[in-house]
Amino acid sequence: MLLGLATPSILTIIAIIMIPLGWLFYLSFIGKGGEFSLENYQRMIEYKSYFRVYIITFEVSILTTLVCILIGYPLAYFLSQLPQRFAGFFMLTVLLPFWTSLLVRTYAWLVLLQKKGLLNEFAMQIGLWETPIKLVHNMTGTLIGMAHIMLPFLVLPLYGAMRRIEPEMMQAAANLGAKPVHAFWKIFFPMSLPGMVAGSLIVFVLCLGFYVTPAVLGGGRVVMVATQITAILENQFNWGAASALGVVLLLATLVILFIAGRILKLDNVLFGRS
Amino acid sequence: MSIHTFHIQRLQRNEETGSIYLKGKNNMKIIKRTAVALATTIFFATVASAADPITVVSWGGSYGKAQDSALFNDASKNSGIAINRESGASMSKACLQVESGAVTWDLVVTGSGSGAAAAAKGCLEKIDYGVVDVSDFYPNLYTDYCVGSDVFATVMAWNTDKYGEPGTPGAPNSWADFWDVKKFPGTRAYRANNVDGALEPALMADGVPPEKVYEVLATRAGKERAIRKIRELKPHISVFWGSGAQQAQLMKDAEVDMTTGWNGRFDNAKKDGAKVGYTFNQALLDYDCFAMPKGAPNKTTAMKFLAEVSKPEYQANLPFYITYGPTNKKAYEITTAPKALIESLPSHPKNVPLMLPVSLDFYAKNRTEAIELYMELMSE
Amino acid sequence: MQDKNNVVEYSKALPISIRGLTKRYGSLYALNSIDLDVSSGEFLTLLGPSGSGKTTLLMAIAGFNRPDSGSIRFGDSEMILAPPHKREVGMVFQNYALFPHMTVAENIGFPLKLRKIGSKECQQRVDEALSTVQLLNLGDRRIDQLSGGQKQRVALARAFVFSPRILLMDEPLSALDKKLREQMQIELKQLHRKLGVTTVYVTHDQREALTMSDRIAVINEGKFEQIDSPEFIYNKPANSFVADFIGESTMLPVKKKTSGDLFFQDILISSGYSNSSQEEWLLVIRPERLFLVEKNNLDSDQNIIFEGVIKEFVYQGETAFALIALSDQHSLSIRFSTDSSGSRDNMRPGESLKIGLKRSEVIIIPENSN
Repeated sequence: MLLGLATPSILTIIAIIMIPLGWLFYLSFIGKGGEFSLENYQRMIEYKSYFRVYIITFEVSILTTLVCILIGYPLAYFLSQLPQRFAGFFMLTVLLPFWTSLLVRTYAWLVLLQKKGLLNEFAMQIGLWETPIKLVHNMTGTLIGMAHIMLPFLVLPLYGAMRRIEPEMMQAAANLGAKPVHAFWKIFFPMSLPGMVAGSLIVFVLCLGFYVTPAVLGGGRVVMVATQITAILENQFNWGAASALGVVLLLATLVILFIAGRILKLDNVLFGRS
Repeated sequence: MSIHTFHIQRLQRNEETGSIYLKGKNNMKIIKRTAVALATTIFFATVASAADPITVVSWGGSYGKAQDSALFNDASKNSGIAINRESGASMSKACLQVESGAVTWDLVVTGSGSGAAAAAKGCLEKIDYGVVDVSDFYPNLYTDYCVGSDVFATVMAWNTDKYGEPGTPGAPNSWADFWDVKKFPGTRAYRANNVDGALEPALMADGVPPEKVYEVLATRAGKERAIRKIRELKPHISVFWGSGAQQAQLMKDAEVDMTTGWNGRFDNAKKDGAKVGYTFNQALLDYDCFAMPKGAPNKTTAMKFLAEVSKPEYQANLPFYITYGPTNKKAYEITTAPKALIESLPSHPKNVPLMLPVSLDFYAKNRTEAIELYMELMSE
Repeated sequence: MQDKNNVVEYSKALPISIRGLTKRYGSLYALNSIDLDVSSGEFLTLLGPSGSGKTTLLMAIAGFNRPDSGSIRFGDSEMILAPPHKREVGMVFQNYALFPHMTVAENIGFPLKLRKIGSKECQQRVDEALSTVQLLNLGDRRIDQLSGGQKQRVALARAFVFSPRILLMDEPLSALDKKLREQMQIELKQLHRKLGVTTVYVTHDQREALTMSDRIAVINEGKFEQIDSPEFIYNKPANSFVADFIGESTMLPVKKKTSGDLFFQDILISSGYSNSSQEEWLLVIRPERLFLVEKNNLDSDQNIIFEGVIKEFVYQGETAFALIALSDQHSLSIRFSTDSSGSRDNMRPGESLKIGLKRSEVIIIPENSN
């Protein structure tokens, strides 16, 4: 009965997710001449850039996730401890970036961070440093820009998880003899973990496909998979080669999530039991 | 003036930054686009008439604005053909439209090389030279599939506060100077993720005479030599640029001291107050053109419009907006531009001999290997 | 060494002494200068309607809110400024507040670990606590695998495992169904007897309070109405609020005549009030204390006899309930036991009858007494 009712949505999911994925997979095995071929994968072994680009992509994604956690956790904690109506207002400021175009935000960072940007000019004016510091067109700038864009994706689920922790939990911990610091680390933090893991996964996976921000703020030095895919398409119109890159990224991501899932017991954290 | 040594084949000039249309999940978009475009095609096939606006796609920044002012607005008014102007021209996107059977673009601006590559892939309509009059064009600035729109140069440009005005003693004058960080200490910018015009300067800086550059580059060892030379400069390259707009911005903001880029962009940046100058010496001479994706929805009307914008009276106005030279000889005769402006165009006979014309043949045969090697360098 | 059958010894039970405790929320007094003494080992229930201040008082004892003024002493120590984690009081929360990321045993062991008790002793005490609440084999369960009653027991075990001097319970049984609730009431009572710990129990359920408490403190609008044993609270309510809140009751207005006797209409209710200036009084009648008068020779010196007409009769199994109209304005509720003969034929609405109340069971309280 229920399965019958779910059929339209299952078909929709197949249509919008499985079919394109299948097509991507198929295309990756099509050579330049339109025949079945492994050439798209062979070139990935032949040239060192592909492996490096995957490493950079995962490195950037992991670092962005870490930066988001470092900034987002205290922020979400602060919001979760506010009365609901104040929290709503502050949440708005966190969410504001959602309503601004990605390109605009990225260029705004460029204006702020570049050699003669606002930050360097200001710091030099008040004597913090004498020559401009290179804050953009490198990894630093990329991480700043990406963390800014990704922050809401971490803060939202984390804030939700923290709000669900009843105040009685902390009272109970205190009552049983836990100092506030202990109560936080032994009770609040573990109970907020599902939200943090969910948020981190969203951030991590979204980062893997990033193009604009590393392209603009990385100054060409942070070459991610999406950049490589674009380079192949723009230079060679080679859908097959681009598809192969996408397939490998997808598989690598699944492997990493699987391993992370084993280590973190993700199904407990995400689908349990809190 | 002769540009007969001028070969076609420069694949892909990616003027636009945000071309993010293909990521890991590209095909979802392709399918969606197919579906939407399919519906649109069916719809328009039944109601299309000569009165429909044609879609003309160019690049962003000062280039597109210059074309609007000099070509599109007046041509549209005079011919009575309404146009729908879009930005983000790209031959790979055009090919994608063609291959998915969902063409929405009628006329697309492209670099000569990309145009040739797209034609080779079967993505373009043949130009109807019964409609488009190229009798006054320079012979090498149109092909079966592309009609030249302007001539430009890939040059080296620098901050004039730092290294002096072009032509003055001590100012940079060759690719060797671009590489010489002792004589010209400071930061550099170079092309990102795209091999067009990226290898030739390195070889010239390494001492290869311009006329031998493509001969050397034709071998793997020659390409690796060029890559090695760029690797040598890499610690000083603080930004790799991805678009013409970015070249202008980098010079305007003095983010870097010296960069490669397209001459017209720097002239416009200078008009905006940037302290920038450049030289045609050892620059790469190239041209842009118009192409029509195969199955363009308003083929006949678009062809008429192409004929209109290719007339000399419009091209004659182009130098006022960007320092790219006309492809129609007659435009030079009728233009009201002052002598100094004419002499600053890359296609002026005074400038052409200083430059290396980009080789169609080289890019047709070596593009794949060159980009793989270049991406290795980029990802290091 | 302790006897194996005995849990930890709770000789450290401490008395609680509260003086002048006041807590305001804006202009509202949640606690209005309250005094309360709970003696060592006593089971005291704070009973009151919602918003009466009973939970505020409990939270003040636990240290979760800071009163505006007053004193809270555990034994000889002033605790009013002590943070909750230094108060050494066990607490059972209304929603149990069990930690979902820990097993049953980890929950119970949590206060022991914080006290740096070695793992062996910790294990032993957790097992003892589990056996006390009859959950010996469930130590490895996750919290979400427990039933409501089991959660209740875990919360209880966690609250007493560290031998607190005082145990607080905030409506701990309110989430359970009626049957389980009644069973747990008895178990809690037994546990309290076993542990001997000073216990303050909060409920709004008067039956629960009557069942479990050594003493009940009836609280309303931030003040105590009466603090007494269950029997006293029930039989000698201090005022109409207590009379009304505890048990079922009917209240009839009675007037003092010049003789100093109290009359309901023309029925003599009680004598000897000549020294009181109070004119208006209330007669509190518990429905089960009324009886049907079947013979005419009932001694009116020993009994008050009302005459009335049956308005409503409800059969409720072990008891039956009737509403009797005495006049146009006044009526009485009566509850009496049923028998197997089912003598309800004469209990039809409209029938007249006589109801008796022993004079020894008369409860008189002044009108406007609260």
